[in-house]
Amino acid sequence: MEKLIEILEELQPEVDYESCENLVDGRYLDSLTILALISEIENNFGVLVPAVEIIPSNFNSVKKIWELIERLKEEE
Amino acid sequence: MSYFNIIYIFAFLPVVIILYNIIPKKLRPVLLLIASYLFFFYISGKLIIFLILSSLSIYFSALLMKKIDKVKEEKITDLESEEKRVVKEKYKRLKRTVLVVTILFNLSFLFFFKYLNFFGSIVNGILDILKINYSFKLIKLLAPIGISFYTLQAISYLVDVYNGKVEASDSLLKVLLYLSFFPIIMEGPITRFSSVCDSLLKGEKTTYNSICLGYQRILFGMFKKFVIADRLNIFVKLTFGNYRSYSSLVLALGAIFYTILLYMEFSGTMDVVIGSAEIFNIKLEENFKAPFFSKNISEFWSRWHISLGLWLKNYIFYPVSMSKFVKKITAWFRKLFGSRVATQVMGSMALFAVWSLNGLWHGAGWTFVVFGYYHLILILLGNIFEPTVIKVCKKLKINRDNKFYKFLRIIKTCCLVVIGELIFRAPSLSVAFGMLGKIFTKFSLKGFSSEVLSLGLDVCDFLVVILGVVVVFVVSLLNEKGKNVRERISQKNIFVRWAFYYALILGIILLGAYGPGYAPVDPIYADF
Amino acid sequence: MRKVLKCGLFFVILFLIINVISYFLLFDKNVEKFGLYKIANYSILSENKNSIDAVVIGDSLIYSSVSPMEIWHNYGYSVYDCASAAQLLKDSYDNLKVALENQDLKVVFLEANVLYRNPKNKSWYFKVYNFFSNSFPIFRYHNNWKELFLNNVDDLNNSGVYKGFKYVTKVKPAKNRNYMKVSLKKQDIPSANVMYFEKIVKLCEENNVKLVLISTPSMKNWSYSKHMGAKDLAEDNNVSFIDLNLGNVLNINWNKETKDNGDHLNYNGAVKVSNYIGEYLKGLNIVTDHRNDSYYSSWNDNYIIYSNGLK
Repeated sequence: MEKLIEILEELQPEVDYESCENLVDGRYLDSLTILALISEIENNFGVLVPAVEIIPSNFNSVKKIWELIERLKEEE
Repeated sequence: MSYFNIIYIFAFLPVVIILYNIIPKKLRPVLLLIASYLFFFYISGKLIIFLILSSLSIYFSALLMKKIDKVKEEKITDLESEEKRVVKEKYKRLKRTVLVVTILFNLSFLFFFKYLNFFGSIVNGILDILKINYSFKLIKLLAPIGISFYTLQAISYLVDVYNGKVEASDSLLKVLLYLSFFPIIMEGPITRFSSVCDSLLKGEKTTYNSICLGYQRILFGMFKKFVIADRLNIFVKLTFGNYRSYSSLVLALGAIFYTILLYMEFSGTMDVVIGSAEIFNIKLEENFKAPFFSKNISEFWSRWHISLGLWLKNYIFYPVSMSKFVKKITAWFRKLFGSRVATQVMGSMALFAVWSLNGLWHGAGWTFVVFGYYHLILILLGNIFEPTVIKVCKKLKINRDNKFYKFLRIIKTCCLVVIGELIFRAPSLSVAFGMLGKIFTKFSLKGFSSEVLSLGLDVCDFLVVILGVVVVFVVSLLNEKGKNVRERISQKNIFVRWAFYYALILGIILLGAYGPGYAPVDPIYADF
Repeated sequence: MRKVLKCGLFFVILFLIINVISYFLLFDKNVEKFGLYKIANYSILSENKNSIDAVVIGDSLIYSSVSPMEIWHNYGYSVYDCASAAQLLKDSYDNLKVALENQDLKVVFLEANVLYRNPKNKSWYFKVYNFFSNSFPIFRYHNNWKELFLNNVDDLNNSGVYKGFKYVTKVKPAKNRNYMKVSLKKQDIPSANVMYFEKIVKLCEENNVKLVLISTPSMKNWSYSKHMGAKDLAEDNNVSFIDLNLGNVLNINWNKETKDNGDHLNYNGAVKVSNYIGEYLKGLNIVTDHRNDSYYSSWNDNYIIYSNGLK
């Protein structure tokens, strides 16, 4: 989880990730940043994120993103 | 018949509402389907067969995919994990074949009706260059109304079923109605199955409230269309029709007016559409969210024709950027230039696909292709230079949250949008570039005011346009600030509420640009 | 129930507001005499008393074929079109009666095509359309707020510069064919129409007006068998009958002078018909040239506006 926040900070520093609950809907992460985020996630956590999973509700908060990663790990 | 036809608003819709309420609840969705097919038949006649074919194809292939999944689950229950994988892979491939075949089947109609001529003419051009003495005969076909919209909906349903996002519907009625529902059939919004599937078949009684609110929204749409769009159309038609005879400022004004016209016409149509659906308690997604408050082009496209943008994002942008091919290329770039560049490349490739399709979707013609790539270039430039701009701002100590800075960004975006819409409206590329050339090179103020008033609109007309735009602007501004205007009006007492209604109705009747001397705008998006 | 009442009240108030505004927008000199609705429906009532020499009564063929301002400019006769879409002979009779209330007519032209329109078959679309445009004159006059706003009220003459004519320049060519092929068949005129025709004849006799039955050029609406029927009826009642379709007397060019594939004439065709009527009136020798008459000064002003509006 800390690693994830580190990645996010690097991609888009101007957001308070601990509290933000609308990363996508509030336009903090644009689609390009999400692409970068996904490749970082794939490289760092060893999961494959299929296109289907890229929906706002999976990326709106750090908690949600972490849940997604955990879920994908299990499905591997 | 367009949604602004008096017959639609004051005859067709009321009759459907009355019938809807007197028949038993179970039959109501059937009535909506019949009404939808009548509506479609009235406009496109026998071409309705293509709508039915599309609907049936997605209905059955979705069920087939569901069946494949079921068989797969049964087979893998008592297999070892290695074998499981093999079997899974096999069924996945089968499912994908079903998906691809059905999508191609649906796209073939779209291609046949809308793009055959365009590509035919390109092939003819190539044959001509190669000095091959043969040319394809081009035929102008009348496409089924709304084919560009319902085909995208059909694809979204199939892909969602394939991905397990929605369950394939057993109810044929539901799928038929989803694709043909009369408010959305002509101009969208391109609706996802998951967002309407429950409400479509509910058949909930219309209430006093739903009718009032629905018609309130319809009236607002009529205001945008009759008072503003139809009025500006006179000016726009003349400037785009014969740009050589007008000065650069008038042409610029023509382009600005066209952008306003397009917004009023299209978002006004959406008001009628969403209002109509609201009457039957079917909630549709908004298609516009104050697009002219955008700070850059990508934001603009997330506020303008939202449903198309979302469709392209969900079914083109992410799938393309997550595809194996693009990932391979990205990996290669990452090794050479680092991850920042790699992501840019990945996004750019996906954006290229998105904007190629966006352009072509709007119409089979070079102006639309250029319209697409124009936005692609703007967005790519924005992506590449954004970090630099942020750095420069920091150096110069400019606060990017500053209101004035925001305002400048909004103005910049509006100017870029107007240029885009100019290309969009121009009858040909040479006219588009001719106009742009003239606007940017031959600036002169001489005789401006008399020329402006010679283009079919008098001082009164301009005042009305300004008044209308201010009304729409204030409503957007309030909505943008999170103050729901409709809710606020409904909370006021009856005198204030009725005053609003009367003002709106009389505004349309008195200030509407109809009758002798005004030619209404054709429904712009219905042809796409 | 309360909601139904509320709804009803809403529309009643709306109706009242619209009515009040209509009065403001229809600032016509004769409104007080004839009332809002009557003037809105019979625009000839807003003409000065006893200023019209001749009226042309009929359906869309009339407002597409006869432009009174052309006749005024070339001959100085004051002619008015009392035409409405898909008019019935009963409406024609009403139009004539209303026209006579305020005018001392010399000649009445009646479009023969109306004789064949069976009142039983009148399409619902026109019924609804006419009902609305008659009940809510505001839709026709809504743009007058501009004049009110700019204080141009004096310039306005609500009978309009066109005097009932509808100015259309669009060209939609017709396939050339001989639609007036001679045949032995005679198309019957509905008996109700024969009765109304006789009433019109009688009304004209009482008011000492010359009645002329006329058939203006239309490929889609006229035929030789209709010609035969109309001719017989006219002869039986001792009424003059002019058929401009027979032998294409006016040399209508159906490639250029129709706005809808031969159904109606466009402006260029209408000039020909109008001049024919002017010439015909001249031949009758019962109307005079008013171009230098001060009572008709507004007609001269009108012509300037009219000719400025021509493309």
